[in-house]
Amino acid sequence: MSEHLVTAYGEELAQLGAEIARLGGLVEAQIADAVDSMTRRDVAQAAAVVAADERIDALQADVEHLTLRLIALRQPVAADLRHAMSAMKISMQLERCGDLAKNIAKRGLILAKGEPVTPFNRSIDRMGKLVVDRLKTVLDAYAAQDVERAVQVWSRDEEVDEHYNAIFRELLTYMMGDPRTITPCTHLLFVAKNLERIGDHATNIAEIVHYEFTGEILAGIRPKFDTLQHG
Amino acid sequence: MTSRTPSTVAEGGGPFRAMLETLPDPVMLVAGARPEDLAGRRFAFANPAARDLLRLPGAEGRLLSAVRHPAVLEAVDEALFERREATAIWEQGGPRDRCWRVTARPLDDIGDGPERLALVAFSDQTDARRNERMRADFLANASHELRTPLASLSGFIETLRGHARDDEAARERFLSVMQAQADRMARLIDDLLSLSRIELNEHIPPLDRVDLALAAAEVAEALQPLAKERDVALDMTTDGRSVIVGDRDQIIQLAQNLVANALKYAPPGSAVRVRVQGGMDAAAAEASGANGGEARARHALVAPDARGQTFVALTVSDEGPGLAREHLPRLSERFYRAPGQKSGVNAGTGLGLAIVKHLVNRHQGGLIVESELDRGATFVAYFPAAPAMTPRAASAGG
Repeated sequence: MSEHLVTAYGEELAQLGAEIARLGGLVEAQIADAVDSMTRRDVAQAAAVVAADERIDALQADVEHLTLRLIALRQPVAADLRHAMSAMKISMQLERCGDLAKNIAKRGLILAKGEPVTPFNRSIDRMGKLVVDRLKTVLDAYAAQDVERAVQVWSRDEEVDEHYNAIFRELLTYMMGDPRTITPCTHLLFVAKNLERIGDHATNIAEIVHYEFTGEILAGIRPKFDTLQHG
Repeated sequence: MTSRTPSTVAEGGGPFRAMLETLPDPVMLVAGARPEDLAGRRFAFANPAARDLLRLPGAEGRLLSAVRHPAVLEAVDEALFERREATAIWEQGGPRDRCWRVTARPLDDIGDGPERLALVAFSDQTDARRNERMRADFLANASHELRTPLASLSGFIETLRGHARDDEAARERFLSVMQAQADRMARLIDDLLSLSRIELNEHIPPLDRVDLALAAAEVAEALQPLAKERDVALDMTTDGRSVIVGDRDQIIQLAQNLVANALKYAPPGSAVRVRVQGGMDAAAAEASGANGGEARARHALVAPDARGQTFVALTVSDEGPGLAREHLPRLSERFYRAPGQKSGVNAGTGLGLAIVKHLVNRHQGGLIVESELDRGATFVAYFPAAPAMTPRAASAGG
């Protein structure tokens, strides 16, 4: 990983962005595969997701290493410093998303041992798509240096909350109707919660992207839907 | 002339370049020098279809700024460094949820540098994927929907053979429930058959001319008894020229599904309004659901391709319980039921709006739903107006 680093400074900065793209692509695929393996009860795929989390951790460590090296050797200032810092911060957010995806896959493995709880496959699937899409949009915005698109992701997260809320209520109703479903439904509840948190991480990344390219901190009130009130 | 490195290939002109530029499928030329330097891979050429798909600012750039999916990157690497063809499936996600098969093939080295080349081509697999999934979903739903009334029928048969054998009053009651369940199954099967017939012809444009206002009036008249029974007023207004190109039976079926749906949810004492309005442009037709400036959530279930023509809109509004925003996009899915929607013997088959959607599709029209919880629902189906019946316009239209 290190012998080819005798490159120009600009190249090093660009490489940092590329590493984030690579890490991001891996995380997007992990989340999509985790949800997919759960709804299709594909044990092999779920196990593959759990195993692939190591690669995410290794990549994240690489990004951290690259960033530290760049800061130590090149002592960047202003936009370059922000670029280095945001790469490190985004990589940490992505690593968390990877952990949440792994957790979903693990729950999928447990769910596959019991009776299928099919009524929720669609809602979970839709929520998963929505969250992956938010993450994808914000990573696209990062790659294209498109602050506007990042802000769009930041300002529209009520959709994820609405989905989470709907699944939450559906699950409660289902569990009340048949207490035997409490164990699988609780796992599904955590899966939905994990997805909601991945959505939050996408929002955080949007804030980091905004700061990197404008130097200003995104402030203001986002439309927020209180999920607890409706429980 | 310098050596033919990949970048000069992309800059070169000639018919080959033009051919690549014109290819409808996205293609890219990818170059990489060292296997371990993933960040150093770049694309030396991307045709406009690829630039559009991957939202690339130019025809050259860093590969990782174009593609992030790990499976695709692996396929590219295999082609670049192991010199063999590799494929990957890439789901695009987002509003245009398309699924691509990405094929990477090694290219003979034409440069003298250390870089290796590969061709990356994308082919659209969306329809195949979607059909596969829809079929699975559909089978599961349809069998479930048919099983419910069947289970109740066999339950009652068992009871009638057992302890209710000599109870005349119970027998009558059970038989009427059984009749209702059997009717429900028949309705469901009718709808399923009708849906498959419509799908068969979905891509054959209709040829006849239908007056939407007359069709709607006919439906309103036929449903008047049902409206009376539910104590709902059925108001009908028409405005402007309302002739469209369409299949008369299908237009009537469409209007019937929309009006019957509205009647089902309208509370007693309220009114269901049916309006046919001609001579609208696309924007006006889309906005025609808005009544009195109330801001309700709206969603386009079907959007027509053709812009800049005149439309005739059929608007059906009820004052029923309405639907929350998050359910609107899914209304035309087969067997979709919003929570709290009626279920049981009198419930619909869950296919009515799916049928409407397919009919609108066939007629190259649009379908919009506008609703909010407790504030009723409005459906707008709009169709391109038929050209006037002069010979010249008729030939221009054909």
